Amino acid sequence: MTYTILGRCAKTGRLGIGIATYSITVGRYAHSTRSNAGVTVSQANANENNNAIALRLLAQGLAAPAVLEHLKANDAWHSYRQIGVIDRTGAVAAYTGSNVRGWAGEVTGENYVSTGNGLRGQHVAEAIAKGFLAEPGADLEHRLLTALEYGRDAGGQGNATTHRTERSAALQVSSRHSHPDIDLRVDLHDKAVDELRRVWTVYKQYEGYYADRGRNPRGAIGQEAFMASMKGA
Amino acid sequence: MTFSIIARCPTTGRLGLGVTTFSIAAGGRCEGIRFGAGVCKTQAYVKRDNDLIALELLAQGMTPAGVMAALEAGDPDHDWRQIAIIDREGRTCAHTGPGCRPWAGHHEGDGFVAFGNVLAGPEVIDGIVAGYLRDPGADLEFRLLAALEGGRDAGGQVGSEGHLTERSAAIFVASEPDHFDIDARVDLHDDAVTELRRVLEEFKIYEKFYRDRGYRPDLAMSQAEFVASLPRKADA
Repeated sequence: MTYTILGRCAKTGRLGIGIATYSITVGRYAHSTRSNAGVTVSQANANENNNAIALRLLAQGLAAPAVLEHLKANDAWHSYRQIGVIDRTGAVAAYTGSNVRGWAGEVTGENYVSTGNGLRGQHVAEAIAKGFLAEPGADLEHRLLTALEYGRDAGGQGNATTHRTERSAALQVSSRHSHPDIDLRVDLHDKAVDELRRVWTVYKQYEGYYADRGRNPRGAIGQEAFMASMKGA
Repeated sequence: MTFSIIARCPTTGRLGLGVTTFSIAAGGRCEGIRFGAGVCKTQAYVKRDNDLIALELLAQGMTPAGVMAALEAGDPDHDWRQIAIIDREGRTCAHTGPGCRPWAGHHEGDGFVAFGNVLAGPEVIDGIVAGYLRDPGADLEFRLLAALEGGRDAGGQVGSEGHLTERSAAIFVASEPDHFDIDARVDLHDDAVTELRRVLEEFKIYEKFYRDRGYRPDLAMSQAEFVASLPRKADA
């Protein structure tokens, strides 16, 4: 049981993932983005090697549908997996194996994949896509978080009679650097999507400072002084 | 303001990294660990590309000292960095630039490096080392956690306005090329090392279940069934 949004910003080409689930430490499955390559996820009985393989294939320029076919061909148990891929052109591919548990499926469009399993129903996957499309001009990380929030608010994980809370969540976005721009996690929490929004909101205040002090250490102020300047602003 | 440990388990060859700091989401800036290559962690004033460059060089078999020389040659601000490197054989190299905020320093041990900046003093490094060495037979992730706890309990970080709490923390351990064995993080918390122990101990309960259902999903029970099978917590 997991729901995920993969997205590519049509304006900037930035690539990202937002993921939330009942399982703990889901961020371990969300090393999912690579600059100028693509974004991918493997979930539901996740094959933990898939992300690394997919990102290498995407970096070589394979299109999303070809990457998906390679992952399936490489995995005897792919009928138990759920996979999503977006390549650097914004082309998408998604797959839900026939043995994945609960309601499972995807809603896809140019530049996005909404995918989930063990969900309350199709309407959750549709809500995630709607959340991603709600503010097309906003920063990609905000759009990914909004998609998760729409999924949560549409009922999230469970079935007709039970609901499962989000115990972990993660957000990762890459653009032009060898490392991600944003890589945030909530590993164990009662309301992980809410907490991920909180972490991101606080982190955004520091994002520029953390980047600048590394690039220009000779002129950098200490973090205590930076925080004092925030309070004074 | 950060204290960290990188290490190679002498028994298994697993590679690990533990970090904690006043900054937020430190675990999201730790790309420098790869099984078969080594570990590199740059902190203080961070050049984000360093760790990935170092992994490429370590993967080619360069020694940690050779990698450090290459990083220095590519960085006019090397004096502001704190860098520790360990290779796949356990050899180490460490650098604490004079531009790092005090107190800053490192200790290279047999197969590990403890290092930090904006600390209470050298006793914090001693605490990290003592924590790491306390139980050499333990799993590497718990040795790394004990090291972070040792640093915290020895006084941790002290900045211009006094003690700074740990707001984020992370532990990574790798024994396979394409994913981490252990990848546990706390990104924003008042007591991040304590919270990291809670996360790691909870993860250890699920570790085998998560791994096995990936390898043999046809044999896996559902997570609801797995959770129901767990012994009830005594204090629940």
